[in-house]
Amino acid sequence: MVSPIHIITISLGIAFALGIFGNLPKKISAIIMLIAIGAITFISAQWAYALYFGNAETTQIFTAGFKPPYSINLQMGIYEAFFSLLINIIGLLGGIYLFNTLVKQGKNAIIVFLILIMGLNVIVLTQDIFNLFVFLEVQSIATAGLIVLHKNKDSISSGFKYMLATGIIAGLLLIGIIFSYYFTGSLNIADIINANIGLSKGGAVAVFLILIAIVLELKPFPANGWAIDVYQSVKPGFAAIISAGSASAAFFVLYKILPIVPENFYNVISALGIITFIGSNLIGIKQTNTNRLLGYSSIGQMGLLITILGLSPYLGDKLTFIAFAILISHYLAKAGLFWLSGIVKQQNIKNWSNLRKKPVLMVLFGTFIFTLLGFPPFPSFFGKWELIMQLSASGQFIWMALILVGSFIEGIYLFRWFSNSLKSENSKLPEIKISLNKFIPPVIFGVATYGFGYFAGTFVEAAGAINYIPLLFIAFIALIDFLPAWTKNTISIAGVIAYIFYLYPSVEGDLLRQIFLGIFLGGAVITLFSGYYYKGKRLGFYPMALAMFAGLAMLITATNLFEILYGWELMTIGSYFLLIRGKKSLPHGYSYMMFSLGGSYTMMFGFALAFAGFGNLDLQALSGITVYPTLAYSLILIGFMTKTASFGLHIWLPGAHGEAVADIHFMASAILLKAGVFGIILVLLGMGAEAIYAKNILFVLGWIGAISALIGNVAASFQESAKRLLAWSSIGQLGYIVFGLAMMSHLGWTAGLFYTITHFLYKGVLFLIIGGIALKLGTPLMYKMGGLIKKMPFSFIAVLIAIITLAGVPPLVGFAGKWLFYNAIISEGFYFQGVVVLFSGIVAFLYLFRLIHTIFLGQLKDEHRNVKEISVWLLIPVYLLLFAIMIISAKPEFILKPLGNYLISYFPTGALTWNETMVSTALGHWDGYWIMMIVGVMFVILLAWLIITNAKAQKVKQFNMVYAAERPFRPETTHMAHNMFAGYNKALGFLIAPYVTNFWNWISNFVYDTAGFVRRIYSGNGQTYVLHIVAYIMVIYFIIF
Amino acid sequence: MDYFNIEYISIVTGFLLILLGLFAILTQKNIIKIVIGFSLFDTGIHIVMVSIGYIRNRTAPILDETVNIKDAANQIVDPVPQALVLTAIIIGLGVTALMLAYVLKLHKEKKSLEIQNFSDLKW
Amino acid sequence: MDNIILKLLFTLLGLFIVLNWGLLMSAIMQKIVARVAGRHGIPFYQPWIDLIKLYTKRTAITHGIMFYLGPVFRLGGGVGMFLFIPLIYGSEYFTNFSWSGDLILILYFQFFGMLGMALGAGEGGHPNSVIGISRGLAQFTTVEVPMTLAVISIAVQYQTLSITEIVAAQQGGILNWTLFTNPLATAAAMLSLLGAFRHAPFNLVKAPNEIPIGPPTEYHSSFLGVLRTNNAILHVIEAVLFMNLFFGGATNWFELILKSFLIYFWSVFVGVVFPRFRIEQSVAWFLKVPLVIGILAIIIFI
Repeated sequence: MVSPIHIITISLGIAFALGIFGNLPKKISAIIMLIAIGAITFISAQWAYALYFGNAETTQIFTAGFKPPYSINLQMGIYEAFFSLLINIIGLLGGIYLFNTLVKQGKNAIIVFLILIMGLNVIVLTQDIFNLFVFLEVQSIATAGLIVLHKNKDSISSGFKYMLATGIIAGLLLIGIIFSYYFTGSLNIADIINANIGLSKGGAVAVFLILIAIVLELKPFPANGWAIDVYQSVKPGFAAIISAGSASAAFFVLYKILPIVPENFYNVISALGIITFIGSNLIGIKQTNTNRLLGYSSIGQMGLLITILGLSPYLGDKLTFIAFAILISHYLAKAGLFWLSGIVKQQNIKNWSNLRKKPVLMVLFGTFIFTLLGFPPFPSFFGKWELIMQLSASGQFIWMALILVGSFIEGIYLFRWFSNSLKSENSKLPEIKISLNKFIPPVIFGVATYGFGYFAGTFVEAAGAINYIPLLFIAFIALIDFLPAWTKNTISIAGVIAYIFYLYPSVEGDLLRQIFLGIFLGGAVITLFSGYYYKGKRLGFYPMALAMFAGLAMLITATNLFEILYGWELMTIGSYFLLIRGKKSLPHGYSYMMFSLGGSYTMMFGFALAFAGFGNLDLQALSGITVYPTLAYSLILIGFMTKTASFGLHIWLPGAHGEAVADIHFMASAILLKAGVFGIILVLLGMGAEAIYAKNILFVLGWIGAISALIGNVAASFQESAKRLLAWSSIGQLGYIVFGLAMMSHLGWTAGLFYTITHFLYKGVLFLIIGGIALKLGTPLMYKMGGLIKKMPFSFIAVLIAIITLAGVPPLVGFAGKWLFYNAIISEGFYFQGVVVLFSGIVAFLYLFRLIHTIFLGQLKDEHRNVKEISVWLLIPVYLLLFAIMIISAKPEFILKPLGNYLISYFPTGALTWNETMVSTALGHWDGYWIMMIVGVMFVILLAWLIITNAKAQKVKQFNMVYAAERPFRPETTHMAHNMFAGYNKALGFLIAPYVTNFWNWISNFVYDTAGFVRRIYSGNGQTYVLHIVAYIMVIYFIIF
Repeated sequence: MDYFNIEYISIVTGFLLILLGLFAILTQKNIIKIVIGFSLFDTGIHIVMVSIGYIRNRTAPILDETVNIKDAANQIVDPVPQALVLTAIIIGLGVTALMLAYVLKLHKEKKSLEIQNFSDLKW
Repeated sequence: MDNIILKLLFTLLGLFIVLNWGLLMSAIMQKIVARVAGRHGIPFYQPWIDLIKLYTKRTAITHGIMFYLGPVFRLGGGVGMFLFIPLIYGSEYFTNFSWSGDLILILYFQFFGMLGMALGAGEGGHPNSVIGISRGLAQFTTVEVPMTLAVISIAVQYQTLSITEIVAAQQGGILNWTLFTNPLATAAAMLSLLGAFRHAPFNLVKAPNEIPIGPPTEYHSSFLGVLRTNNAILHVIEAVLFMNLFFGGATNWFELILKSFLIYFWSVFVGVVFPRFRIEQSVAWFLKVPLVIGILAIIIFI
């Protein structure tokens, strides 16, 4: 094996050679440099490979033939090899990426670049603290040298600030080193560790100076203005090297010197880290400049890593995994994003929408963003999960909360940026031109994120059962995305059906999971089937839809909390991309993502608390949480309720669903929301209803459900857009379900689960039909429709049956739900919440009538005289659903009986009793079959009677009506549709005043304003930045001593 | 304790220089003066380093006729800080030179040496 | 088999009695209103004349299938409620088909007719119909709130939702009536009744001055005949529902006629005294005093 010393010899040799044999053509010089970096990459790769697989042992290299302290020694262990590999790869790929720039800047730039990479290598390898100082300085000077070669005025001024700041920091480091030498007599890090100088006061100051200098090298907030300016002003390709290479090296230095630091400093280190993580991300919120934004994000990530090191006493043997998973994510994603920034060449994050013109780049962009945010299947997800779990097991709840808050804040701006690029107008932006050397590095890193994601998964015990088959299937569908939609559709349906058969044995005998499997994957088949209506390619639709369904399926089969979160996040990603496909979905998709992100973090926190008490991650951990049970259950429920869009967390839904196209609306509303229901069921089953905290939580939950029902239904009545109407209606319907579950009784759960099923059926019908009509007419606004019954009779019948069911009018099955509710609230004593729910049920008539009337009845508009029935591909699934509704209307026992048998094991009392078709509770009774028969016979008789007495009735034209002997002017003025319930709005409109929206707006404004205020510390003046550094050191000094 | 010995005086001088340098960096508006402040800061550190390695009544760690080779370890001061300070001086020189190069470039950009004129990047 | 036929025949007989009583009662009420206003009013047989005229009209037009079905739904709703409600307590035959469902069924079955009618009128295309419907639905939502509270209150009181059992519990003297055992629930329900019967001040659904006759604007001839038939049945049935829940039910036809008359008269009485509310006023009205009474009616059982 090649000795690590040759990393230095090769670099230095080539650098000198390039200088001496100076006048080679620039291109050849650059190629020679790349070959040199390639060679050292090979050396570190070789070592990393050998050390990882145990073919080699950690090796010390002594210079000049002496042993320390009389010589400088380098160490090549597994970590060193890994970090040096990271640095060399970023050097190699970064060099390839920067090839043209380096060639243009000439020989000096090429040499300095090589020296920079070498300096970083030595920083990692060296075991001598003074040598460390020297190469930190080499690195600084090389960096500053490269900055000055950029020759634009911003980079020069930022370079000067950089020099000034790093000069001061290096001076401090030097003082620290010399004092630690004074106390230990050695410069070897191992010797200093053994001397344990932190115990004496003077030694502690020496250690403090070393530590603070290294921390400052990692650019902690707020003493980091100098670094941010550099990120902003240099070429993105170079910023990638600073962010991924230099920062990683500096992080490793901190890791290396950490044993010198006495235990009581650790909390300070984590505090510095978390302040950086939160502060830097907070300021990022206000940022619109791409590179500066990435700078803030980079520094934030470093803050997180510092925190992790500071918390290392709590992380046990998972420390390495956590740190590596998060570091590698940062490394790949940040370098990738900087590289993309160099390709896009747009300073403002709002102008990134031209990235859409290059789908491959867009995919990479998404990959990197999701990697940074810690979504599966990327490594940071696993890292963050283990981090939170380990902290929780050690009882470090405050740190957990702070880390999650910081992560959330990071999500705010990264997602705003990402969704802007997905949806903003891009017609006026220039085309992206891309050369191969700039294209390859980000592609390699993009692919690597997935690879490392898989690799990281193998280290997480709880992830062992994750089924990668669906993910591979999704990848396959993504690869054939160029095919027309119907082929992908067929393959997808086949895949989902196969998966149902594959999964079915695992849920057999568990009715709850069977129901949800039916809703999730059965629903998937139905919606995908309706997807045949789409002509064209539908780029990106199928992988995302399937990701959502795979996530949902994973929820069902999950055997531990980790898999639940994994599936949850997968589903979130998929559904986000589906929802954002609508034309005006930009703000709504963003708000959806924010709530989802926040929800998954609260959920993670709750899971961690459960884990802390229970000791492992099995689903049983949810039963009887012992550590802060009120908080834990509340947080988990809040997490799930972001998907059921319950009151307070609902404001994303109307927009997000209201702008989605027909079949996506079905997926999002009738299927996706049920994931939240499933989660709530799991939590409530674990929590029970006995404990005091459980009673309190259930009380609140019941009211949340009731208020959601009320707000959803009232608001639905005032919508002009049919899709928004349905969206609000979903909020209301999910409110019923949450309310039913909160009753924690046999009847309540029967009602809740019954609604879960029927809502899927009738809402599915409505979404597909209304969506199809909106698609056909080009608008979802109801007052622009009217009289369509004559053009779309099949749609009308479907909607009619669906709304009768939804309204709960006998004889259709919706009545069963109402009846169960009445019985449940009376027997459980949920009177007032119950009245709110029942009142909402009646309010539903308002929007249902509005929906069917303004679309199908009233006056047909002139421009719709030639429209045809909606696509048959939408009608077929609709009629399948209607068929199911009719069956269970006549035979409600098909659902209610097994449901009762299932629930009896959880709620033994208060079950329904059956006498043939008659069902009764302690209070009332009801016979669905006979009611259906009686009403049917009666209806037929009355119809016959009317036909007999009215045989001569003749059809007349549209405007032939009692209009004071006049003809109405136009359909528009005669169709009573716009602002239909004006009087009602006047009386009860206050109920839906946007208090909740205002609340969240206030919060977000507060955060934005805080960010705007805090970031003014970055005055741009180099002197101020030095002052920050000095003040930072003083403050921390006084905190520690 | 005798405060007027050589190591004490030199170490205090070193720290005073460091503080003086910092003060200059923080208060001077002219960037050349700031660079000079940085030099002072650096020099202060170097003096501190040398004085740390000093041992009373010993000579420089150079093996010439004044030092008995066999008993060198007891006759010379600690050689390591002296070696370190050489390196540090070289590095300081490099940094200062690069800083001055920056000053030149900055002056070329804006025809000004006031540090507050170079705060275009902020927030 | 004989039993079922007999049952059907008695049900038809009951329907016939209820229909004729409903027609007569509406004539009497109209007469009362007229006399209060200082007019002479219609003869008591006017409703029968109207019905015969409407059913035998020569011309009839229709705006489409839903328009055609609207009155069928409406009458179906009325007859259905009749079928599911027990008329005479203790009678084997005049309890109709009330065994197939309880109070909740009645409460929700009333929507059957309303919804069908609303859709039929909607297809008629006349804006006045829809204005009437939208007002009616809006008002109805809050009318139901005190009613729901009252129903929950008496369900808690009697621990049943079966109408027959509720009536049974009130037997044995006037003091056993819900009116006396649970006056708060009765008060809430009787206030709610004012809205359900849609006399003034809650009659803006048909608002003769602004939107002549509301939902049925486009209906005429036998369509209107069907609607009139339904109105007669429905008025009696709704009164019977309140009678069963709050006023001890009826053990014979005379009691039924008397009680239903008085219950219906209550709404007419209020109607001739008060002027009409606007929609936002009437919607809000039910959420004030009646709501508070309803809440109190439940609180006493907590």
